[in-house]
Amino acid sequence: MAVVDVHRFAESITCHAWSPDHSMVAFCPNNNEVHIYKSVQDQWERLHVLEKHDQIVSGIDWSSKSNKIVTVSHDRNSYVWSLEGGEWVPTLVILRLNRAALCVQWSPKENKFAVGSGAKTVCICYYEQENNWWVSKLIRKRHESSVTSVAWHPNNVRAINTTSCTSILLATTSTDGKCRVFSTFIKGVDVKDPKAGSPAESKFGEQILQLDLSYSWAFGVKWSPSGNTLAYVGHSSMIYFVDDVGPSPLAQSVAFRDLPLRDVLFISEKMVIGVGYDTNPMVFAADDTGIWSFVRYIGEKKAVSSGSSYSSQFSEAFTKFYGQSKATTANDGSESSKSRGGVHDNCINSVVPLSKAGSPKVMRFSTSGLDGKIAIWDLENMQEELGHQF
Amino acid sequence: MAGAGGFVEADNAEAIIARIETKSSKIESLLKQYKPVEALKTALEGSPPKTLDERCKSANWIVVHRALMAIKDIEGMLNALDVEYYDILMKYLYRGLSTGDRPTCDQCLKIHEKLTDRAGLGCILRCLTDTINTV
Repeated sequence: MAVVDVHRFAESITCHAWSPDHSMVAFCPNNNEVHIYKSVQDQWERLHVLEKHDQIVSGIDWSSKSNKIVTVSHDRNSYVWSLEGGEWVPTLVILRLNRAALCVQWSPKENKFAVGSGAKTVCICYYEQENNWWVSKLIRKRHESSVTSVAWHPNNVRAINTTSCTSILLATTSTDGKCRVFSTFIKGVDVKDPKAGSPAESKFGEQILQLDLSYSWAFGVKWSPSGNTLAYVGHSSMIYFVDDVGPSPLAQSVAFRDLPLRDVLFISEKMVIGVGYDTNPMVFAADDTGIWSFVRYIGEKKAVSSGSSYSSQFSEAFTKFYGQSKATTANDGSESSKSRGGVHDNCINSVVPLSKAGSPKVMRFSTSGLDGKIAIWDLENMQEELGHQF
Repeated sequence: MAGAGGFVEADNAEAIIARIETKSSKIESLLKQYKPVEALKTALEGSPPKTLDERCKSANWIVVHRALMAIKDIEGMLNALDVEYYDILMKYLYRGLSTGDRPTCDQCLKIHEKLTDRAGLGCILRCLTDTINTV
């Protein structure tokens, strides 16, 4: 089994993030607070409670180099927390939103962060040295609905030639079903790349690419380690892969059997973990010809006989639906157990990598969900099982 | 690109309905030859999802319904059907269930059970969330 540690922290967890040395975890227990726990000799100890927001904290990100935590909430605010003298001190960031903030991510260089909101806008916030505060610039165009997820390109756009890491491109997914890539170039903060191909890349808020693959809400966009591939999920139990993101992208839609996913993670250039309503992380991989497909569940394969792969809730519903004696077919005692023998009991909301930022392979990652558990997964022993794409 | 292409307009709808009539006669002949699986395949092929025109959808539904009711061996039918037709078949099953007509619903439920076993809940999800390509 790939699970290394599972701990139930609260009734339900909205989002979580790890400290740079992975010893502490910050999460929101589905209220307006952020709890920080430290792992001390196999026990989890609560160190801090960050209490500044008025409503549920929908996004947390912990920067690895500058050790700052950024939190965004449904109360339309964002705070950047810095550790001063053992205490976390908040700095308010005025996002200028009139709807809830839904997701946040630090840029790779950690001088900016992006916030997706229900106001159909994305806020790019950067620190202004002269005035000693965080300024927010809004991308107002294009989105027709809430922005559910944001992801910074890991390097500069032409990763082949450049070595600088100026983090300009941002991918977003929205409940209008589309995935878009924008330029977030800010004069004075970002360095202009002399080899910049198109002038569009140097204009703030310019849409570089729009992907129209999904009919339903889109969630969880992530870039591959090299920045060549994008992956995002749709609410219709589909996952979309886009290779060669640029003027002529190669898009693939992969439909799969189970309930929709909520978030994805690239564990290598050709392998993706998807987590979602099915409570079991799924592995997708690209074969040598570049075609992506579902490979397996990350845990042990359960014996699939008709009906027994669904929880007791479903078999009852199906019995009523089909009106026949479905109850006579043995359901392997799935009536009795509430948990399906897997790690999580409820929808997994987010998956966070636990390796050094910028490394091409992710060996460890953690998942958190509506059941209040955070599970840590280690792929060290699974290299052979996962195959050569890992 | 999905959604960017135009929806078929009224005059093209006539052409589609004509196509459906030819399909219908082909299906009748297949059914007479006791080949219900072939008939269903023919009915599902070329389902006009991008029309907004209700008449086209109804015309195609009648044809699919005819083929569906003739199926006796559900397992065999699903074995012979390609995976890409699962989603469309599921959509027609739900249309059948919405008619409320007893024999239709019985048949649709039987097929629904087997199809869910094969295609999983994802198939149902895709049918529910796709509000653009309705049947």
